[in-house]
Amino acid sequence: MQEHQEKLADALAGCAKGDRNALRTIFELEGARLVAVAQRILRRRELAEDVVQEAFIQIWTKAGQYAPDRGSARGWIYAITRNRALNLVRDGKRLEFTEPDNLADLHDAEHMDHAANIWADLDNQNRLRECLSRLDETKRRSILMVYVSGYTHGEIAGRLKVPLGTAKAWVRRGLASLRECMA
Amino acid sequence: MSAGKRDIDELADEYVLGLLDAADYARVEADIETDSSLRAAVAASRDRFLALDLLAKPGHEPEGLWGRIAATLDDPKAGVPVVAAAGDGDPQTAIRTANDNPVAGWRLAALSGIAASLLLAVGLGWSLLLQPEPRVIAVLLDGAGEPQAIVEDFGNASARVMPLVDFEVPEGRTMQVWTLPSQELGPVSLGLLPRSQDMILDGPVLPQPKEAQLYEITIEQAGGSPTGRPTGPILVKGFAKMPR
Repeated sequence: MQEHQEKLADALAGCAKGDRNALRTIFELEGARLVAVAQRILRRRELAEDVVQEAFIQIWTKAGQYAPDRGSARGWIYAITRNRALNLVRDGKRLEFTEPDNLADLHDAEHMDHAANIWADLDNQNRLRECLSRLDETKRRSILMVYVSGYTHGEIAGRLKVPLGTAKAWVRRGLASLRECMA
Repeated sequence: MSAGKRDIDELADEYVLGLLDAADYARVEADIETDSSLRAAVAASRDRFLALDLLAKPGHEPEGLWGRIAATLDDPKAGVPVVAAAGDGDPQTAIRTANDNPVAGWRLAALSGIAASLLLAVGLGWSLLLQPEPRVIAVLLDGAGEPQAIVEDFGNASARVMPLVDFEVPEGRTMQVWTLPSQELGPVSLGLLPRSQDMILDGPVLPQPKEAQLYEITIEQAGGSPTGRPTGPILVKGFAKMPR
């Protein structure tokens, strides 16, 4: 992990100097997984690939801004991709047609369960897993829906059939507990 | 832990998880550059959750994706995808369900609307003969999928709007025409449409309009949206087609 992080940090430094092979290295190390991360949020593979394409252009142009005080190189790279995917989803929500058929609802339910259960795949030694396991089910589920699937408070309220204020409180308290647990 | 620190940590988490609205998001993004404690909180938050991203199982190799990235680096104008318009000519389904109160019938309306826009683009061929030639044409549909207006975007900061019906606009309100050139830019106003009549709008300079770019008309307060983004109800919307 540490070695991997160093490779990525070096590659970002290379990008900042205009070395395209460095960007290629990042793509080879993380590209496929970044597509998967974007797809968890966007559902559609081709949209996810478009987002990753945009993200790599941004990684290339912003690489000079990366510094260790911005967190790990890997976290920085994933954050860029996540932001682009979330922007697309949020704009879509505001502007696009909805797709209101039962198939979408079913798909949603499956997606939600997947998001809610994914934490169990974390390594036993992982601190995040330990801390998530201490949260009660509603808070854990809400946080995972937000992070893994890119849901908003409003979407969580709708999917879990609770008032908006309740959903917000679950997320806020859950996040606070996680911070405390992981500090 | 002081209240101030707690607030910063909470803000950082909400930023990292994508829970802030656009204005707060932009503010945090700017503050990160100058506020080292916020920067540290965001960094910590990202790395706290990163393990969840690393669980995502990479599927098959994204074939051709590196080629597209490299091509965009070679020619920045060429290849940047308009992700809203990506896909297979069916942009409506490209956007996942994000509404808790779906309106039955929209999907069918949208699909039939694509057919309608194709037909109209042909049927209204006369408009193509006008100079300058529009880069794209969008037929804007109402909730029932009925064509209500046409936008021709000339791609030179001007666009022509042709209402096909008399829209009912409440007193003290105005219609405003929008497009979504890219996700980065977000929705951009092309101008106000005070009455239901054919108008040339002089909008801002934008990237060349593309196939399947979104156009819409909303009802806004007199003088136009106060935020620069659509705030009022959507009257009609549609996706652009390029004249063949």
